[in-house]
Amino acid sequence: MNPSVMTPRRSIALCILIALLAAPVAAANIERTITSSGDDLDVTLTVTGIPVGGIVETFPDGCIWKETDHPADRTRISGQQAAFAVIGEETIHYRVQGPQAAAEAFTGTWEDLLTGGSGTVGVDETHDPGAGKTPVETPGFLPAAAFAALAVAYRWRCGR
Amino acid sequence: MTRRLILLACALCLLAGMAMAVPCDRDGDGTLTAPELAAAILDSLDARQMGGAVEAPSPGDLRDAAFVYEHWDGKALTITDTSGRTTTLTRPIRRIALFNSDSLEMLRSIGLEPDRIVGVSKYVLEDPIFYPEYQGTANLGSVWSPDYEQAAGVRPDAVFLYASISQSSCDDIEDTLSAIDPGIRFFRFDSFRPTVYADEVRTLGLLLGKSEDADRFLTFYEDATGSVAGVVDTIPVKDRIPVYLENWNDYKSAGKGSGYNEKIELAGGMNIFGDNPVEYPAIDPEAVISRNPGVIVKIVGSGETTFGGYGDDDISSFEQVCRAISDRPVWNQIRAVRDGRVHIIHTDVIGGPEYFIGTAYFAKWFYPDRFPDLDPRTIHQQYLEEFQRLDYDLERHGTFVYPA
Repeated sequence: MNPSVMTPRRSIALCILIALLAAPVAAANIERTITSSGDDLDVTLTVTGIPVGGIVETFPDGCIWKETDHPADRTRISGQQAAFAVIGEETIHYRVQGPQAAAEAFTGTWEDLLTGGSGTVGVDETHDPGAGKTPVETPGFLPAAAFAALAVAYRWRCGR
Repeated sequence: MTRRLILLACALCLLAGMAMAVPCDRDGDGTLTAPELAAAILDSLDARQMGGAVEAPSPGDLRDAAFVYEHWDGKALTITDTSGRTTTLTRPIRRIALFNSDSLEMLRSIGLEPDRIVGVSKYVLEDPIFYPEYQGTANLGSVWSPDYEQAAGVRPDAVFLYASISQSSCDDIEDTLSAIDPGIRFFRFDSFRPTVYADEVRTLGLLLGKSEDADRFLTFYEDATGSVAGVVDTIPVKDRIPVYLENWNDYKSAGKGSGYNEKIELAGGMNIFGDNPVEYPAIDPEAVISRNPGVIVKIVGSGETTFGGYGDDDISSFEQVCRAISDRPVWNQIRAVRDGRVHIIHTDVIGGPEYFIGTAYFAKWFYPDRFPDLDPRTIHQQYLEEFQRLDYDLERHGTFVYPA
């Protein structure tokens, strides 16, 4: 490609382009729906755009874990929390015993292990760790050993 | 002292062994299974968010394991690059430094996230129209004048170099950076040669976890090249039109084994200097007259013809070059000049990863009657929008061919 003179119009177009390219493109999220049946609350997590990841759900005090259709070796329960390993699943159902009013108090977080993105269950907003540029280190931060090796390489190639 | 040396050697071997193992592969059998990955995910969530006291993998190991499981079937990946070198990886490449700007364009075609590129050649930084997202990325210089401090400073997992051009310069870069950091992996791709183009797209897709995007791009690429090849294959060799190709230097053509010779043949042309053993021979103007080509193609965009391309909307320089060729002494006797079949093309669409756009133009120029529906500009626009993700309107911007 050719280097070229930038006109003001081109500069504006370039700024717009950079803004477009920097915009997050990931559509990963997890929705939670809760239905009540008798003394139980049936929770469905709908996973979108997360092929490999993890979810931690926290259910409110007063709720007691009952069961899930998620594989046992991908589920871990500890107190009021349930962790799910997601490997290709698009829905996860689980059931807790608890009052209908508790449905509003569920919280949860998710992580996408392929993109590094993370978010809150039920909130359509992703934290993207790749949004910022990688900082370039100044030479002063390079390990001294690396420069010693560089010097040795130069001397070797120069035959000294 | 001897015992200490033995211990040090053992520790280094252990570290090397760990680095070569697939992360989170608990039983060490070389395959990360779904239960092993699930256990690693749960241990990590347990330790970080649930107050558990389990031994958990680091977040980095866990992400690497997820990548290996999803993209490499849970196993180490062994690939061979265009130079023929075989490399085995047990972890993904997350930080890439490129001296090869053609490969950067190919990586964009397969949808690589820009934040995985930590250093680029100076040519990328000199081209803000085509590479807006990389302005501000570390400048590594060029293959011929590398900035080793920058290249080492960005701490790359991998450095990409050319496979078949400037090999000694690329060897020097590899030797020097290896001495600084023996952990850097080196890969050599060209990203502009028709014979290896599709293989390189596939290999890069697999290497970087972008196989689906690579397949999608290859479908587009093979449609474009296939529509030309399908017609060219039906043209008997004796009926192929003789073509004189000249690069940006006057009277410098393309000989046997050159990329341009290959591109002329892909479009069904017969290079009048295709029998010349020199790759880019300086030719006698009278030899062009005597071989009487039916089509003349002049490439611009470099040397004394540094104009046109994505950053230039003014076609007048192309017109001047075209006129100057027709005005060369006695060249009005050449069939191509008499018939008005002198064409100018910019190196952007014939010399690099966009070569298939240029060969579509070639085919249209060589055999206008056989390619009535072929529309190289539409292919070009689709490439820019869909695969380069650029908001660039060819109707309003850029100068690539003349006559259009």
